[in-house]
Amino acid sequence: MNLPRDSGPSRREFLRHAALAAGLTSVSTTLWGTEAAATPSQLPPVESPATGYLSLGPEEAAFVEAMINVLCPADELTPSGVDCGLAVFIDRQLAGAFGRGERLYLRGPWRPGLPQDGYQLPMAPEQFFKTGLAAADAACREQHGRSFADLETTVADSFLSALAEGKIAHSRMALAEWFNDLVYPLFIQACFADPIYGGNQDKVFWKMIGYPGLPAVNGLNMVKYRGKPFPGARHPKSIQDFS
Amino acid sequence: MKPLPQRSVVIVGGGMAAGLLARQLVHQGIDTVVLERGGDHRAEAAGRIPTQRDELRWDIRLGLMQDAASETYTLRRSRPEPSRPMRRLSAFLPGTGVGGAGSHWNGQVWRWAACNMALRSHFTARYGQDAIPADMPLQDWGVSHEELEPYYDLFEKLFGVTGRAGNIRGKIMPGGNPFEAPRQNEYPQPPLETTEAGLIFKATAEREFGYRPFPSPGANSTGTYVNPDGMRLGACQYCGHCDRFICEANAKGTPDALLYPWLERQAHFELRRHCQVLGLDYDRAAGRVRGVRYLDLITGEEYLQPGGVVVLAAFTMTNTKLLLTGGIGRPYDPVKGEGVVGKNFCYQINSGISIFLRDRWLNPFLAAGCTSTIMEEFDDDNFDHTGLGFLGGGSIGVGVISGRPINARRLPPGTPRWGTAWKRANAEWYAHNCAIGVQGSCYPHRENYLDLDPDYSDAFGLPLVRMNFDIRENERRVSAFCTGRAEQIARAMGATQLGPVVPRTSPFDTRLYQGTHITGGTCMGADPATSVVSPRLQHWDSENLFVVGASVFAHNSGLNPTGPLAALALRLGDDIARYVKNPGHLS
Ligand SMILES: Cc1cc2nc3c(=O)[nH]c(=O)nc-3n(C[C@H](O)[C@H](O)[C@H](O)COP(=O)(O)OP(=O)(O)OC[C@H]3O[C@@H](n4cnc5c(N)ncnc54)[C@H](O)[C@@H]3O)c2cc1C
Repeated sequence: MNLPRDSGPSRREFLRHAALAAGLTSVSTTLWGTEAAATPSQLPPVESPATGYLSLGPEEAAFVEAMINVLCPADELTPSGVDCGLAVFIDRQLAGAFGRGERLYLRGPWRPGLPQDGYQLPMAPEQFFKTGLAAADAACREQHGRSFADLETTVADSFLSALAEGKIAHSRMALAEWFNDLVYPLFIQACFADPIYGGNQDKVFWKMIGYPGLPAVNGLNMVKYRGKPFPGARHPKSIQDFS
Repeated sequence: MKPLPQRSVVIVGGGMAAGLLARQLVHQGIDTVVLERGGDHRAEAAGRIPTQRDELRWDIRLGLMQDAASETYTLRRSRPEPSRPMRRLSAFLPGTGVGGAGSHWNGQVWRWAACNMALRSHFTARYGQDAIPADMPLQDWGVSHEELEPYYDLFEKLFGVTGRAGNIRGKIMPGGNPFEAPRQNEYPQPPLETTEAGLIFKATAEREFGYRPFPSPGANSTGTYVNPDGMRLGACQYCGHCDRFICEANAKGTPDALLYPWLERQAHFELRRHCQVLGLDYDRAAGRVRGVRYLDLITGEEYLQPGGVVVLAAFTMTNTKLLLTGGIGRPYDPVKGEGVVGKNFCYQINSGISIFLRDRWLNPFLAAGCTSTIMEEFDDDNFDHTGLGFLGGGSIGVGVISGRPINARRLPPGTPRWGTAWKRANAEWYAHNCAIGVQGSCYPHRENYLDLDPDYSDAFGLPLVRMNFDIRENERRVSAFCTGRAEQIARAMGATQLGPVVPRTSPFDTRLYQGTHITGGTCMGADPATSVVSPRLQHWDSENLFVVGASVFAHNSGLNPTGPLAALALRLGDDIARYVKNPGHLS
């Protein structure tokens, strides 16, 4: 993982000085989107951080990395999912508050319900994620004689489709729900959340779709670029750019 | 439990309704304390750049909302079924902290059509005695639009509401909502800019169908604005981070920006943060509430706050819960159709159709909470329902409010879910799509009500509120009809492709966000046999207890609820000021 990225410090310095000059104690949005604020960095690119996992063990990481590279292969649009930081994103989410069940009501009695009742299991997401990985990998070994991480890409792709479509049976786990309601949303979030969470490195997915990220002063842009391509979409800004 | 000195008015909840009513009280010099379970968001990461612009944290992980781990709600769609908790809140998102859900709302501000205040009378007069099905307990609210008009006007001024009037003192104004009830004044500020998608929708709806769309009115400030209390708003910057977010540019009319900072500068007002209200101290024999029991989340101790007047302003669910746990008023019994607390619980029936326009740059990120273009031809009773087999309707519009890429991305049907083709579709369509949406009314049903769940409790040991709710036949028909109308317009907009056309139906889906517009449970009305509070929002059984919020609505319409909620809250402030000076039953 070694993507060039905008350098935070110089912009931060700039904004701090600009804020002081304007008599403000903190960087204010009124400075946003000005020509000056968009001055490109003078510093050489820094190494991208974040390799290594907090939540995932080696076999789990191998599964997740293989899966992420199927969901997001390297192509003309982005580097591979792993190089985009998507596996790191998922790992960090599982290791953090989300994985531990933040904002999830985890009291009984436990009653399985309709899909429309939402998640009804006593497991926190990290535990559920890992249980599903193991179950999916067991199903994979049964079907293909190999771990998911060792499948060829096309076979792995079909296996994921079969998972999503509910075609991979497991004696105890509803693997389609696991994939569609937990794994897949994490993949989407990994792609499109702010890079500060570890995925979407170099804002590669924002650039791909043309999402300008944080800039805020669109009062004039709203009229100027109504119905026209928006130039800011080519140079999205993230939290780090303004920190 | 530690008793505290008595206060004239004790308000439970520190959100939208509470702030407005406190503002009226404090202007009239009445001692007021507000008990709010949460703290301030504005000064924290939520209200500061760059952390404010974090879609994952505030939108996806719901960083500003009520914590479901501590308190959620259960659902059952029919009485024989066991209930299940909504283990994650997603269908609707109650707020917490100063300003309540009003601190991170979109700000769309409506005056509901006048017929809504007396819907039973209206429908029977227009369609006959049998027009309303037996299982639809529609009822008049006991208040008229004319009584509310000055309070709508005041709310619009306090929140710097933008928009274009459709009807000034009976004169239909071009460019506004032609169905709106007569208003005394133009909006305080002109409308926001219209989006490209809104322009296409408007042109199509006018040209092909003769409809009259107009810019959504709302509390996103077009310019700098000073309200009657001297509180200021800046100009909206169309940043696309409005609903579910605090406005760091101070351009959104919210209670925490406009009401509480002003209130906290006045004498005789106190906002007590981090106070979780647990119950009401009710003297049944005297027909009075002595005070409010709460847990101070900072000290961990319980207190009793006595009050001359107690007001419940803690959103639909808590308002109903406190009456049920306090044994105040008769709980609704769906079998006999008797009792009142929990009755007429309603939601809204919303649907949408994605529209893909290859050659148009729709730039969804250039948007604000109120950059919607709406038409009202098929809402309420704005069209003839004879022979249609349902009552109610919905607003239809193109509501481009955000291009946030996790949640607001749309892909044409048939797109693979991952891989290179998925990425290409994202790149191809992101800037070239919008959706046409329907916000559908929801009328009460005999089996849609709130009660206390016997099996589940919250972090404070209190029962969870149980929603007995499903989307019933009348609402399924409303949705099918309005979604069909929306589809006609969508097709005429020159779409390269349309998303699936899916009217809302049962089973009610707790996973999909359908607006935080839940109403009822503590209905207002002129008849104590069918209402919890009087038309003055005074509890029938406890003279010094008042309830305010959408919980007093007897049904829900096809427009966002906060306009009428705000008008009722401001009026209640004036009523309680009268009561404090001269207690008794208010008429
Ligand atoms: C994302 C979002 C967007 C929205 N957009 C719109 C819109 O565009 N237009 C519109 O009309 N409406 C909108 N709404 C709805 C609007 O926010 C509500 O209608 C409005 O805030 C309700 O006012 P309220 O005073 O009843 O509740 P709130 O404003 O939520 O205030 C209730 C307060 O009570 C407190 N409370 C609850 N229980 C307790 C307790 N036990 N002890 C102490 N305090 C308690 C809560 O913490 C909260 O602060 C939106 C809501 C959301 C979530």
